[in-house]
Amino acid sequence: MSDDFTTVGKRVPMVDGTQKVTGHGIYTDDIKLPGMLHARIVRSTQPHARILRLDTARAESLPGVFAVVTGKDLTGKYGILPVGHDETALAVDKVRYVGEGIAAIAARTPEIAEEAAHLIDVAYEPLPAYFDPIKAMNQPDVLIHEDKPGNIERDYHHDFGNVEQGFADADLIRDDSFFCPRVTHAAMEPHSTLASFEGGKLTVWSSTQTPYYLHRTLALVLGMPMSSIRVIKPLVGGGFGGKDEPLGHEICTAALAIKSGRPVRLTISREEVFYIHRGRPAQHVWLKTGVTRDGRITAVHCKTIQDGGAYCSYGVVTILYSGALLGAIYDIRNFRYDGYRVLTNLPACGAMRGHGSVNVRFAFESQMDILAREIGIDPADMRLRNALEPNSRTANDLRVTSYGYPECIRKVVERSGWNEKKGKLPYGKGIGIAGSHYVSGAANAIIRSKMPHSNVMLKLDIDGGVTIYTGTAEIGQGSDTIQVQIVAEELGIGLERVRIVSADSDLTPMDLGSYSSRVTFMAGNACLRAAREMKSKINRAAADLLKVAPEQLVNRDSRIFVSSDPQRAVTFDETVVHALGTQGGTLVSQGSYTPPDEAKGGKFKGSGVGPGVAYSYSAQVAEVSVDVETGQVTVERIVAAHDCGRALNPLTVEGQIEGSVSMGLGQALTEEVKYDQGLTMNPGLLEYKTGGIRDTPIIESIIVESVDPEGPFGAKEAGEGSLAAVIPAVANAIYDAVGVRIKELPLTPERILKAIQEKQHR
Amino acid sequence: MMRLPAFEVILPSTLEEAAGFLADHHQQTKIYAGGTDLVPSMKQGLFEPDYVLDIKSLPGLNGITDLPDGGVRIGALTTVSELAASPVLRREFPVLARAAATVAGPNLRNAGTLGGNICLDTRCYWYNQSFFWRSACGFCIKKDGSTCHVAPGSKQCWAVYSGDTAPALMVLGGRVKLTSRAEERVVPLTDFFVNDGLGRNVIRPDEILTEVLIPAARRGYAGHYEKFRVRGSVDYPLAGVAASGKPGGGGDLRIGLTAVNPRPVLLDRLDGLSLEDICNQAKRTAKPLKTSASTMEYRRHMIGVLVKRAIRGLSASSD
Amino acid sequence: MTDKKILMTFRVNGEEHQVAVSPNRLLIEVLREDLNLTGTKMGCDDGSCGSCTVLVDGVPVQCCMMLAVSYQNREITTIEGLARTELDPLQRGFSEAGGQQCGFCTPGMIMSARALLEHNPDPSLEQIADAMSGNLCRCTGYTKIIDAIRQAAAGYRQEEEKKKQTTTGGRRRRAV
Repeated sequence: MSDDFTTVGKRVPMVDGTQKVTGHGIYTDDIKLPGMLHARIVRSTQPHARILRLDTARAESLPGVFAVVTGKDLTGKYGILPVGHDETALAVDKVRYVGEGIAAIAARTPEIAEEAAHLIDVAYEPLPAYFDPIKAMNQPDVLIHEDKPGNIERDYHHDFGNVEQGFADADLIRDDSFFCPRVTHAAMEPHSTLASFEGGKLTVWSSTQTPYYLHRTLALVLGMPMSSIRVIKPLVGGGFGGKDEPLGHEICTAALAIKSGRPVRLTISREEVFYIHRGRPAQHVWLKTGVTRDGRITAVHCKTIQDGGAYCSYGVVTILYSGALLGAIYDIRNFRYDGYRVLTNLPACGAMRGHGSVNVRFAFESQMDILAREIGIDPADMRLRNALEPNSRTANDLRVTSYGYPECIRKVVERSGWNEKKGKLPYGKGIGIAGSHYVSGAANAIIRSKMPHSNVMLKLDIDGGVTIYTGTAEIGQGSDTIQVQIVAEELGIGLERVRIVSADSDLTPMDLGSYSSRVTFMAGNACLRAAREMKSKINRAAADLLKVAPEQLVNRDSRIFVSSDPQRAVTFDETVVHALGTQGGTLVSQGSYTPPDEAKGGKFKGSGVGPGVAYSYSAQVAEVSVDVETGQVTVERIVAAHDCGRALNPLTVEGQIEGSVSMGLGQALTEEVKYDQGLTMNPGLLEYKTGGIRDTPIIESIIVESVDPEGPFGAKEAGEGSLAAVIPAVANAIYDAVGVRIKELPLTPERILKAIQEKQHR
Repeated sequence: MMRLPAFEVILPSTLEEAAGFLADHHQQTKIYAGGTDLVPSMKQGLFEPDYVLDIKSLPGLNGITDLPDGGVRIGALTTVSELAASPVLRREFPVLARAAATVAGPNLRNAGTLGGNICLDTRCYWYNQSFFWRSACGFCIKKDGSTCHVAPGSKQCWAVYSGDTAPALMVLGGRVKLTSRAEERVVPLTDFFVNDGLGRNVIRPDEILTEVLIPAARRGYAGHYEKFRVRGSVDYPLAGVAASGKPGGGGDLRIGLTAVNPRPVLLDRLDGLSLEDICNQAKRTAKPLKTSASTMEYRRHMIGVLVKRAIRGLSASSD
Repeated sequence: MTDKKILMTFRVNGEEHQVAVSPNRLLIEVLREDLNLTGTKMGCDDGSCGSCTVLVDGVPVQCCMMLAVSYQNREITTIEGLARTELDPLQRGFSEAGGQQCGFCTPGMIMSARALLEHNPDPSLEQIADAMSGNLCRCTGYTKIIDAIRQAAAGYRQEEEKKKQTTTGGRRRRAV
């Protein structure tokens, strides 16, 4: 493959950028249909209670109310995971958290819907509620779900290699416990869904990362064939995992449209986003690691408990990722994992950027810093000493192909001046290093089948333009742009000739959606294959015009020429005309991607989660100042290197790195969803503290290109792998600055100051 | 999007008209100027007025005027941004300009008014929530309920006053003019606030805060404002300290505390006390409760640190 | 409570609109729902995110906290008011420098930045941070928003420079 690209590797502005900067781009809440009604969800005020009475008569008789639905109308159970069909669109018989939907109303105006909400008559019989996973599992007097004894959603116990022997071989063993509270995505766009039902056909527009799973779930719950449902994803104002599964309000909106016969739009309030959010769970991590004197890890035992909230959501996957991904960054031959996903009476947790890996990474990279210091090895060097080999299999049978982690470490060490600063900064200033990684596309689909994970169609017509039809969900990460670049590159045409239609189930083929950082790799490969098929059709026509064999042709700059004689050329346009005339009109092609079997992991229980078709890597150096009088931390500098295989678009790759780092900084320093007796104490962006411009340093991103053997043009993911490293990098830098080790997030000034004071008193 | 409950808007064209309306309808009326405090609270159902009296466009309540005696008069509708940018305040009464510059975020300062910032409603985790949230919680003493969730058993509301400009005005000896149909009265800010999250201040429901008067006494004094919040912008203070004193550390020190009690507090007659004594006095005065982010202990600690830094800031700013 | 609507004249992006407005209507509702100017976004409900930032008489404010009836005859500029036939340098900057990803905070960001560059064509990093500190973004980490504003500022300055050169150049020719 030649590195001499025309669009790949270029800093291409996003193809949908113009409509976003002009304000003309259409998000779901921007769409207005004739006769459209406004919906509202009535929510539970109880954390755990039996519904004794739910009377909607008064609400239904309010003038302007067109439809009311309750759980009794939508009893079909669903869930993103086939093993987790434990939800209904609205609570049936029992509520399990404050904020769970109990009824949905469609009315002529939002104000009438709101008024009607107050007329819903509900009576509860409260049940004992659990807000702490350890209590929920140890004293389960009452079950949150009848079929989950001990309130344990799922537990896994994995043992790889010989852990006892590994610890016996260690020169030093550390045993530490860590805690990370719940955090949430806080995408800027609150969730919104619009539905219309006409002529037996349901159309749903929704701000979702996973239109395909929404499509399936609507069919399941509403009892309609998928062919009668059209799902369209307009622009989405950020997802980060908060929109990557079918959610109750989406089903309710569709049900209300069907019942009322009118289009219905439901945009939830910012407060409600905190009730449906599916964020990163609160998590206890107990981590024991053994190392030799020269810094080699001999064994790891990780035990963790996650507070999953009231429903399964992605929980079984989250708890598996927490264990499985331990294997995919360092060479750890012996490790044991005990993971418990526990149910509580809080809003359900799900997937959030860096899904399952982030909290364990905070623990692991913090402990590695402790170990490196205790045995007297440079923490950067210690990480290098435990590096994996490229093209290897881990102890838990993950297939690692390209592996740019060592280069990431070397790059950040060099750029940050690590060697000059480490251990030499004055008290109050510190520098820390850490690494992280993520799957570049889960090798196993959520619903196991032989279906490809991504499918793409191309259409080329007389205008000389190529249209990509793809089911992928652009959510701001730039997936539309990447696919346009891939097709333009392969066909040797300019970006302006390539259009993209994405995520409209009537028009576009199935794609699993935007989760597990899979789109560039999988849909990118599908695009590449579709483009190759299209190119062969075009080049057949060009060969005909140039009287050469198609294999001799090169496509570039909207010309097709003979490789040995570049002057012998035809234009793309004239070739298209010829091709259409000789090959039966409109040219179409198709491409798909199915992960290779060897990437799909081992055979043990739970082995399906963790395998990626590739892995991305990140190393980061943080520099901080700690105000020793207040414990306040200022992050002065972040240098972040990310191995994304090949940067198809360095501009958007950097954007993903910087965005991940900034979200990680939020979790490190200020973010926490707080609960008190089941009430969300900070359900808004004023009290849930995501960082602003003043809280975020200029992030120095470095792209490392390991060129993956299977990624499109060698590309891997860029959107998630950089999040986790920044948290321990900051924690390690704080230790370097003031000598205190904070093992609980966020790294608040209170905690740091208390630790400084305790240290001084010792 | 949360919507506002229904109400009627009254758009008076003169202060007299506004005061007249208020005299007749004060029980059912809320005053609107910048909207940045009132509107979110109305969305949450904390206020359900029949009438909203929009005074934003009333003439004569804007701007910062130098008075012949060396004092300054500030119209209540002057925006917080205007305070922060005012050359006369920055030069002569810097503590106020500095405090103003830390209020919320820049675009909120462009809308929010001085009158609104002074009259800011007290804040609490259990109060600044939607109707739904509060109904799930069982409501609180400040709105629709009878218990204080911060201090169960207390008959008082402990919601915390979180304005930034009030402590600055207090150290400057500021007074507010309250106008009703019947009278105009001028109240020193030290007498304006009451230590009750529910009652908040002495303004009567038929009165409008129309202007703020800063006496000449501290013209040219050094001034400093220190604020603790979680993020570098937007957030309300979790502790705030205003300081004013003679330039060059020449005494006549006054300290104003905010965000740690149901009202802002002035510490006076501090000359002769050591820095540590002053910090301790401030920490004893501060009674932060579990009303917001951060812990009580830490906020009290921060009051001590901020007092120290504000006093040191006085010398630095007068260099 | 009677919900008497008030007939209002709004001057938005240089055009006059007459709208019958309920007293409890927010300016953002009028813009988005009555005037179909959906570029202005609603992100938070409490003024903390800045996605709803518009200019009123050139000053950036958050219109999710403003009663519409209070803005009779004021000059309101929304994101839709910036570009006519070609993009404003800020719009180009946000697009080309990667200052937007999901785009939801972008209109508010651009309006805040616009007000900044109006008064300060060459802002320092500190001044940019100050002006943008009321706008939250969850995608970019702000680094590329700063790049975008700097690129736009250079664009504005170049435009100004061009204007100046053509006028002084013209005078010189006359002098000769």
